[in-house]
Amino acid sequence: MIDAIIKLKDRILGRGDAAITIPVFDGALKPNNLLEDAEIFASLDATQDLATDGKHLFVADGARVLRYEAATAHELHHFEQPVTALACLPDGGIAVALAGREVRIVGGTYDGTRWDAADGSAFNAVNAISVSSEGTLLVTDGSTEQPTNNWKNDLMGLGSTGRVFELTLRNGAIRTLATGMAYAFGACSVNGTTWVSESWRHRVMSVNAGERPTPVTDSLPGYPSRLFAASGGGVWLTCFILRTQLVEFVLREHPFRKRMIQEIEPQYWIAPALNSGNTFLEPMQGAHLKMMGVVKPWAPPRSYGLIIRLNEQGEILYSMHSRFDGKNHGVTAAVECQGHLYVLAKGRPTILRLSIADAERSLKI
Amino acid sequence: MTNTSVTPILELRLATKNYAGVPAIEEIDFSLTPGEIHAIVGENGAGKSTLTKVMAGVVNLSSGQMLINGEEVNPRTPSEALALGVAMVFQETSLVPTMTVAQNLFLGQERYFNRLRGIYIEAQQFMQSLQFDVDPTAVVSLLGAAKKQMVEIARAVLHNAKVIIFDEPTASLTPEEKKYFFDLVIALKARGVSVIFISHAIEEALQISDRITILRDGKRVVTDEKVNFDRSRIVQTMVGRDLSKTHYGQRKTTVRPQGKRVLSVQNLRMAAMVKNNSLSVFAGQITGVFGLVGSGRTETFKVVAGIIKRDFMHGGEVILNDKPVRYFVPAPAVRDGIAYVTEDRKLEGFFETKSIADNIYLGLLAKIRSARTFVSRKDADQSGEHWIKRLNIRAISKDVKAIELSGGNQQKVVIAKSLIQEPQLIIFDEPTRGVDVGAIAEIHQLINQLADEGKAVVVISSYLPEVMSLSDRILVQSMGKVVEEYSALDATEEKIMYAAIH
Repeated sequence: MIDAIIKLKDRILGRGDAAITIPVFDGALKPNNLLEDAEIFASLDATQDLATDGKHLFVADGARVLRYEAATAHELHHFEQPVTALACLPDGGIAVALAGREVRIVGGTYDGTRWDAADGSAFNAVNAISVSSEGTLLVTDGSTEQPTNNWKNDLMGLGSTGRVFELTLRNGAIRTLATGMAYAFGACSVNGTTWVSESWRHRVMSVNAGERPTPVTDSLPGYPSRLFAASGGGVWLTCFILRTQLVEFVLREHPFRKRMIQEIEPQYWIAPALNSGNTFLEPMQGAHLKMMGVVKPWAPPRSYGLIIRLNEQGEILYSMHSRFDGKNHGVTAAVECQGHLYVLAKGRPTILRLSIADAERSLKI
Repeated sequence: MTNTSVTPILELRLATKNYAGVPAIEEIDFSLTPGEIHAIVGENGAGKSTLTKVMAGVVNLSSGQMLINGEEVNPRTPSEALALGVAMVFQETSLVPTMTVAQNLFLGQERYFNRLRGIYIEAQQFMQSLQFDVDPTAVVSLLGAAKKQMVEIARAVLHNAKVIIFDEPTASLTPEEKKYFFDLVIALKARGVSVIFISHAIEEALQISDRITILRDGKRVVTDEKVNFDRSRIVQTMVGRDLSKTHYGQRKTTVRPQGKRVLSVQNLRMAAMVKNNSLSVFAGQITGVFGLVGSGRTETFKVVAGIIKRDFMHGGEVILNDKPVRYFVPAPAVRDGIAYVTEDRKLEGFFETKSIADNIYLGLLAKIRSARTFVSRKDADQSGEHWIKRLNIRAISKDVKAIELSGGNQQKVVIAKSLIQEPQLIIFDEPTRGVDVGAIAEIHQLINQLADEGKAVVVISSYLPEVMSLSDRILVQSMGKVVEEYSALDATEEKIMYAAIH
C-alpha cells in the first residue's frame, strides 16, 4: 500500500523511478570521433559476433563462421542455422550459439558437446558466449520470451527474463548464475568474478552463483551489450543503443507503449535502433531537427556507436564514439587482437579496426 | 599623473590601530591627492582593510592623525566619514538584503514623504547613467554577488563622495562588468573624485591606478608611481618570499586520472536559474566549473549540498555514489560527505562574533546526528589549534573572533569548518575571492592536496587563470546548464570564454 502511494507520488512529481533523467556523456565518456574515424576492416551483411584466439579474428556471419588471416577470410564452418554468439576455446575449438537456442562446441577436445536447455527451460536468445578464467563457458540468454532479433520487442515490453549460465566443458554441467535480468547481453570473467551486461537496466552486474548480484558500473547512458577482456586488465564494453529522454518517457507511459506495440511496425516505434536516418517515417527525437540542412551532432540520437573501456574496478577509463551524424552505429561486439580493436558495428553493417595505442595517444591516456 | 605639491584630500600620519594590543596597522603614512586613483595592495592580513576602515570611520585609530583637506578629523562612524566626503564600498556587501535596490540606494537620504514609484524611477535613471543593468525594484537578497557590488558602487557615487574606497571591487564581476567598472572609476577621476582601490588582482592595480602603496604585516613598505612598478616587483614587495613554486596562473601539463564517479547530476532544474543541467564529478580529480555570473553554477551545487531545493516537480536527479539523494536541508548532505565552501563567507560562512576555534568546531557539530547537550571546550580548542596550524591561519590566538580576521584568514576558517567534517565531495565556490596572492597559493595547494588524497573536488570560479591552473577537467556553464567540457590539457582561455558566452 505504502509502496503504491510512493509510486503514485513519484509519478505525479516526476521523482524516483518516474524521473525521466539520463546520465550525461562527460568525463571519460566525453564524445569523440574515434569510432567514426576507424578503418573499415570488412563489410559483411549478417555479422552477429566476433571472437579471437589471440592471433586471428573469428566472425560469425549468418550461418557461417569465418577466420581472418590478415585481411583474407576463410570459411571455417557452415551451420544449418544462424550463429548468434561465438567464442574461441583455449584448445583450438569454438563455441557457437545457433539461432539462440543451442550452444554447441565445434573442434577441440570437446567437439560435439551441446546444450539446449537449463533448469528445464529451453534456451531462447543466447546472444553471447565467453570463456571464463576456469575454462568454463559463460553464456547469456537475453530473454525467454523474445528471440535475439526481437530485442526491441523485449525492451518495449519491459522484459526481464534474461539468464546467465556457466557451462562446464569437461562434464557438460550447467549452473545458473542469475535469472530475472532485464536482458542479459554479454558476460566476461574479471578477476574470478563474472560481469554481466544487464541492458535494459543500463548497468554491468557482478554475478556469482549463490550471491546477490552487485553493480559493477551503474547508470550508463547507453544500453550495454557484450564484454570482452582487455589486455591491460578490465574489459571492453560495447553499448549497442543509447538512452534518450523520449524513449525513457515512452517506457513509462504504459498505455501508449502497449498501443504502439500493437498498432505500429517495430521499425517506426519510438524506440532505439541500430541505425537511423534511413527514412523520413522514423520518429523524430526532441531537438532532432535539421539546422541549415544538417542534423547537429548533439541532437538526441536514435542510434549511436559507443565502446567503453572499463578497468578492473568497473571505472570508466575512456570511450570511443560514433556520434549522431556518424554511420558506425549499433556496436554489439569488440575484441582485442594483436594491438588492434575489431569492432562490429551492426548498424552499418561493418567490421571496423582501430589501433588501441593510437586511440589512447589521441585521448592523451 | 598626480601632483604631490597639491594639498592631499586625505592624509594619514603615523596611523596605528591595535587590536588587543597587537597592531593591525603601524605608523602608516598615507596620502591621497584630488582626482587620484590610488591602489593599495598587500598580502593576506597586511592591514589593507583596517587602513581603509579607518578612513571610512568603521574603526578608529589607536594613535596617529587623519586629515581631510589639511584639517585634522576623527570620524567615529561611517556616516560621519560620509559627511566628510569619504565613502567605502565594502568587500562584503553591506546592503540591507530585505530592501529593494532603490531603497538601498536612498537609504539614509529619505525625505519625510517618500513615493516608491518616484524612487524607482530616480534609481533606474541613475543606474542607467552608470550603465549598470540592475532592476531597482529587485530585492537585494535575490541579486547575485556582482549586482550587489554594482548597487554598492552606485550608492557611493550617489552620495557624492569626494573619496571613494573600493575594497576588492572586481572580485565578483565578470570581465564585461569589470570594463564598465573601470570606465566608471575613470569617469569618477575626471569629476575630481579620488579613488582608493584595494585589489588582489595586481594587473588591475597596474592598469587603473596612478600610485600604488604596498603594505606588509601592517606597515607601509613602499608608495610609488605606477610606472615604477611591474608585476614581479609588486609580488616580491608584497610577500617578501618566492611564489614561483606555486601553480597559480600556470598551465597544467598533467591531469589526474578520473576515479569513481561520486556525483551525477541528471537533468536538474531549479526555477529559472538551472535548466536541465547534467554533469558528473569524479573522485581524485579537481573539476573546475566556469561560467559568467547568472549561469547557474552556484545554484546547481547549492541544490547538491541541500542549501536550496530543486523544482518540486520534474526537478531531475542528484545521484551520490550511485544512490539518488534529495536533501531538504544541508545537514543530511553534510552527513553524506558533501561539503560546500560558500562564495559569500560573511553571510553564510561563519559566525563573525564567534572565535576561530568555535567556528571550526561548529563545522564538526553540524555533522553529528544526535544533538549534544554539552559541548566539549577541550575538543573545540584542540581542533581549533590543529586547523589553525594546518591551514596556517594567521591570528593572535584561536580565540580571536572571526570578524577580526582578514579576508584570506576568514576564508581559511570557512574551509577548515568544512574539512573538519571529513567530506568526500568538497565544493569550493569562489575559493579565493577577496584573498591575497600569498593566501591564494596556500588555498590552491590545499585544494590540490585534497584531490591527491582521492577526494572529489569541485572548484567554482569566475577567474579563468584559477580554473585553468587548478582543474583537471573544466566544465563551462551557460544559461543554467553545462555547455562544454574540456580537459585541462586542451583548454584555453579563449575556448572557455567562447563556450561561456555563446
